[in-house]
Amino acid sequence: MINHNIPENLLEIRDLSIDFNTDEGIVRAVDNLNLSIRPGEVMGLVGESGSGKSVTAKSIMRLAPGNAIIQSPSRMTLNYHDQAVNILKLRGRDLRLVRGDAVSMIFQEPMASFAPAIRISDQIIQTMQIHLGYDKDQARRAGIELFERVGIVAPEKRFDQYVFELSGGMRQRAMIAMALSTKPKLLIADEPTTALDVTIQAQVLDLMLELREQLGMAMLFITHDLGVVSKIADNVTVMQRGKVVEAGSAEQVLFQPQHRYTQRLLDALPHLDNLPEAPVHTPAPLLSIENLSISYPVSGKGRKAEQFTAVNNISLDLPEGQIIGLVGESGSGKTSLGKAMLGAAPISSGTVEYHRTKKKVKFGAEKAIKRKRLARTAQLVFQDPYSSLNPRMTVRDIIAEPLEAMKLTKSRAETDARVIEVARRCHIEVEHLRRFPHAFSGGQRQRISIARALVCRPKFIVADESVAALDVSIQAEILTLLKELKEELGLTILFISHDLSVIANLCDWVCVMKQGELVEQGTVRQIFLDPQQAYTQKLISSIPLLESKEKCPSGSPELLHIAERPMPAVSFVSI
Amino acid sequence: MISQFLSDTWLLWVLLSIAGLLWWSARDSQYFSYVLNRFLLALATLLLVSGIVFALMEVLPGDCAEKYIAYKNTQGEMITQADIQAERVRMGLDKSLPERWGRWVTNLTLRGDLGFSCAKRQSVNLALGDRFWMSFMFCIAGLVFAYLIAVPFGILSAFTINKPWTDNNPQHSKTEQLVGTLMLSLQKVLDLLLRVISYLGLALPNFLLALTIILLYVFAGEAMPTGLFSEQWRNVPWFGDQGFETEKLYDFLGHIWLPIFVIGWSATALQLQTVRALVVDESNKLYVDAARARGVDGVALWAGYPVRHSISPLFNSIGFDFQRVFNDLPIVAVVIGLTDSAALLIEALSMTNDQELAAGILFLVALVVIGMNFITDVVLAAIDPRVRKSVLGN
Amino acid sequence: MNALLARFGRKPKLQKNDESYYTAGQLSLIKARFKRKTSGVVAAWILGTLVLMGFFAPFFSPVDPTIRGADAEYRRGAPQAVYFWDESGFSLRPFSYTYTKAKHKIDMSALASGGLDALDAFTSSGALSSSSQNKFVVDEQQRRYLQFFVQGWEYSLIDLSMAGLDLDIRWDRHLFGIERGQIHLMGTDEDGKDIFSRTLHAIWVTISIAIVALAVKLIVSLFVGGVSGYFGGRVDTIMMSITEAVRVIPPIPIYLACAVALAQIDLTPVQRYFAIAVVIGALDFATLGRRLRTHILTERNQDYVLAAQLCGSSTWRVIWRHLIPSFTSYIIVDTLINFPYVILAETSLSFLGLGLTEPVNSLGVLLQKAQDPDIQQNMIWQFFPVLVFVFLIMAFVFVGDALRDAADPYSEKK
Repeated sequence: MINHNIPENLLEIRDLSIDFNTDEGIVRAVDNLNLSIRPGEVMGLVGESGSGKSVTAKSIMRLAPGNAIIQSPSRMTLNYHDQAVNILKLRGRDLRLVRGDAVSMIFQEPMASFAPAIRISDQIIQTMQIHLGYDKDQARRAGIELFERVGIVAPEKRFDQYVFELSGGMRQRAMIAMALSTKPKLLIADEPTTALDVTIQAQVLDLMLELREQLGMAMLFITHDLGVVSKIADNVTVMQRGKVVEAGSAEQVLFQPQHRYTQRLLDALPHLDNLPEAPVHTPAPLLSIENLSISYPVSGKGRKAEQFTAVNNISLDLPEGQIIGLVGESGSGKTSLGKAMLGAAPISSGTVEYHRTKKKVKFGAEKAIKRKRLARTAQLVFQDPYSSLNPRMTVRDIIAEPLEAMKLTKSRAETDARVIEVARRCHIEVEHLRRFPHAFSGGQRQRISIARALVCRPKFIVADESVAALDVSIQAEILTLLKELKEELGLTILFISHDLSVIANLCDWVCVMKQGELVEQGTVRQIFLDPQQAYTQKLISSIPLLESKEKCPSGSPELLHIAERPMPAVSFVSI
Repeated sequence: MISQFLSDTWLLWVLLSIAGLLWWSARDSQYFSYVLNRFLLALATLLLVSGIVFALMEVLPGDCAEKYIAYKNTQGEMITQADIQAERVRMGLDKSLPERWGRWVTNLTLRGDLGFSCAKRQSVNLALGDRFWMSFMFCIAGLVFAYLIAVPFGILSAFTINKPWTDNNPQHSKTEQLVGTLMLSLQKVLDLLLRVISYLGLALPNFLLALTIILLYVFAGEAMPTGLFSEQWRNVPWFGDQGFETEKLYDFLGHIWLPIFVIGWSATALQLQTVRALVVDESNKLYVDAARARGVDGVALWAGYPVRHSISPLFNSIGFDFQRVFNDLPIVAVVIGLTDSAALLIEALSMTNDQELAAGILFLVALVVIGMNFITDVVLAAIDPRVRKSVLGN
Repeated sequence: MNALLARFGRKPKLQKNDESYYTAGQLSLIKARFKRKTSGVVAAWILGTLVLMGFFAPFFSPVDPTIRGADAEYRRGAPQAVYFWDESGFSLRPFSYTYTKAKHKIDMSALASGGLDALDAFTSSGALSSSSQNKFVVDEQQRRYLQFFVQGWEYSLIDLSMAGLDLDIRWDRHLFGIERGQIHLMGTDEDGKDIFSRTLHAIWVTISIAIVALAVKLIVSLFVGGVSGYFGGRVDTIMMSITEAVRVIPPIPIYLACAVALAQIDLTPVQRYFAIAVVIGALDFATLGRRLRTHILTERNQDYVLAAQLCGSSTWRVIWRHLIPSFTSYIIVDTLINFPYVILAETSLSFLGLGLTEPVNSLGVLLQKAQDPDIQQNMIWQFFPVLVFVFLIMAFVFVGDALRDAADPYSEKK
């Protein structure tokens, strides 16, 4: 599949090796990478964090960070108007060739990639002036046209706004408009949809497909999500720890994966065809929530204190010994609900009651929380594995925290024994207990977080987006661990997530939330295969599933068929 | 009668009308309600400052009555303890501290009256005269000097901070590596040199710096540029028979550069650190990379992105920078022999124990700082979208 | 020194596979990052040397710096050079020469007869004038050799009696001295006190004032920031308004006022010394207090604090185990950065004659002498303390700079 004929390939990377000069010595980030992109082709570059995919993309634009060393004999050749340009030798003004003229980039965080104090219009106009030599009015008209094209409602108004005045989806659209403003031949998109909610992710993906069809430009699409790749890419390259482990057409890589790593990535995707059967009988509830409302003061003190209602009058029973998924988009109040069950959110009305505890645990707006009693029954596993562990304590001290804080053990030896027991259960090596958290990767940190939650033997655990920050393969390990714990310890787990594929793989029972209200609940099969509410249906249809599609020969994008699934009616939510 | 009353209470009316105007504008504008809020907050802080300053001046030994009587004593009058007591009552010094403070604040808010200086035997307003403006101009000039040095060199320092000394890029040819290494080393050495020089401003206390310069004049055998004017120009009016006295201006400039240079240099070190930290912070943000990716480069990139975004916080700190510079001014004034309010402050504090005068000067400095903070807050909320968002919401 | 040179070459890297990296706490990580800042490391060595020499000043000084040790025979004397060789040959042991005072020939008889010319000659010869330089005759034939670890006046090597401990180690050995008389490396002042020894002693006095001042500042700041940040609400508003009001008043005039007030009270030099340190420290709480408050407010919302609360930790446990350790590196860095400013405050006060005064050895006192025209013109070696002072401050600033970059306490990551 590799074509050595230079004019044929838009971009050709040969033997690319990048080293990082870090605090811990020289680290190889990219190792002998070969990649070529033909005009009009969409190349999916798949890999997890640390696989070197982002560095590769940045080095195409010569934006690799200062401590990166591109080793010889690396070669990067760009076909620019039928001339072979050696990217690595570009200097000074010539760099604009890869920085805008022929190549553009979309970053993962649109919010951070626009300068906050400069109007979007000025940034786009500046770009057009540099590359296309437009004058101000010309650039302005072109910019607004682009805004219209990427589906921004009221483009003239939005054009002159600042980036923080736009909503998440709008920002990414604006970013795309910005990238397209120089009419590039190659668009590099670095995880462009990762930070977005599922429904918005689907819209942005559709937009990119549509634009690609209209403009016929090539794309290097970087992601960790094979579902997204299957929707958009013609060819796929899979990277692991700086090396290419598999490359080929999307069809080939996704449906006949050769490498074990690719298979593992594929396993992490939701398989809606083999969802678990519903249990024969629903167990008795461990936890009952009645008419629960949560509200936070928003702004203003004293006279003008406004309240924001995060959760509005929800009643819910959580069956014992099951994993219950709580799904919703950002701002749906799912985290507040989870925290309220642990007494960590301001309950404005309603109650939370735990059954089957030795002493009664019930609290609510009127009834204060018995913190220590609750702490032995219910625990939390956080979303961010970095900020939830005190960086100044050793792993042993972190895990032992609940035991020591509540004085549950009689001696240090007993504490150590309990810590070691729970560490083994969570697959943490005992020798690692005296290390500090900075020595661990995200997945290992999350194990520590789980071990801390389990050490006082609770009945109930709330896992708040606990795998959202992790790579797919690590996610799978943590999910397996959670399932194991449920089986072995009879734990009840409330699993909060925005990621439907994770929910589908893990949970027995699913609740869907939207804007503080409980929209629908049911078994996984019911929710995923037969959603009743319109909102749930929209959510389910937005999941990027593995799709087979007839590939068009690249370079002739008009032949491309987009996914079989109907594109959602254009309902761009504007603010 | 009424005009008398109005002129006695003019400042109060000014303050009230500003507040009223802001309140009127604030009814339907979020921005003006923020401005009003800030205005009231500034007034409250001023009130608090006046309280602190007033209370603090109590630690100075002696009071006005004692000084007055002591003055009379030197005139040859016989004084008894009863006389001092009577004088105290006449001056209202027998009242409690809060009561005296209340009266001081009332006089201040009604007509900007800072009280009566016992040592000078005249009102503080009169004793200060233009001298406070002189100090103010010195500080501003010193600040401008500091900014002029700190901003460009702070940016340069930020520019070189994460760069290596040598160019080891294997993609470059040997000559390119050599040239690159030379350029990098040059930048780094320049940065280090500038940092040493600016930190020297901090490490050489300003009185020493002033002394050193004066010493150089002594060695060179020239007249020391102390004070504001040379002897010959001191009493010459600015507009003489031949119109404007340009010579006097030259003489003036020849004198004022010294205090400005001295206080400016010592302020530079801190400013340099601030600018460097701010620019480094901004230049590590993703939007700078994103701008690079769009082909923005060179001056347009640095000036338009990290530097532009560092200006607001820098501008925001002007008030406290002023305070810091004024803090250094008294000692410089002593060494150089200035006659501005900073020198008066030193005199009032350490020689004449003139509580009212010292309190008046300190209050004026605080007024300037708070005023500047108010202005920067209000201006930034108007022009910087980030600030606007954080203080006004969307 | 070898280690120092080694740093200029290959910087040692922490190996990632090294277990010590994994078990390294926050402070050791900061240390590792700090070691890569060449200018910071060099400054740290200079600083360490100066502080060490200051702390063990009696050991390093060849001469007692007080009036007891003053050399009556060598007042206003220039620095005495130390040689290894001269015309009469090379010597492994360094030596100096013998200095004797030049005697002015005074024609007493002419003076007695009342000759005005003689009186003129007498006054202009400098024998009476205190503003001219004393002339000393160098006798190059009489070498005086340097001696090491000599016995000298007795001093306290470590004295903790001020801290209430019964520990006072006394010693009488000094690093070096000279045979026959005293060695004045940096000359003497008008009383014949050795400048070199005075400067060494002054370093520690000044630094200890700064330490006391910073400790007081820390306590006050912790109180203000802690109360404000922890209680929040109305308490916070009031505390912060006061802090804001204190922040806008320039501090040196306030120190001055307090120093004037202190001058009224009859204090021993030691009490005065502490009083000044406390004044400097106590009034400087505004900036650090505010920062600590912000720090507490942000840190309080960190996940790991919530985690501790959900683990059933009591409020005190959260504060003690989690919140306070999170400031330590921050506070250390901030304290170090503030050292030069506090030292400058002390010198400013001394300069105005309101801080410490003669015969105390503090850098401020020694610096103050530099404004004397007599010293500027005739005893330029009395600028030696100025040089040391500049080095000390520069070293502090560079170390502080590098440490801030290593610990980065001001960039609060959200």
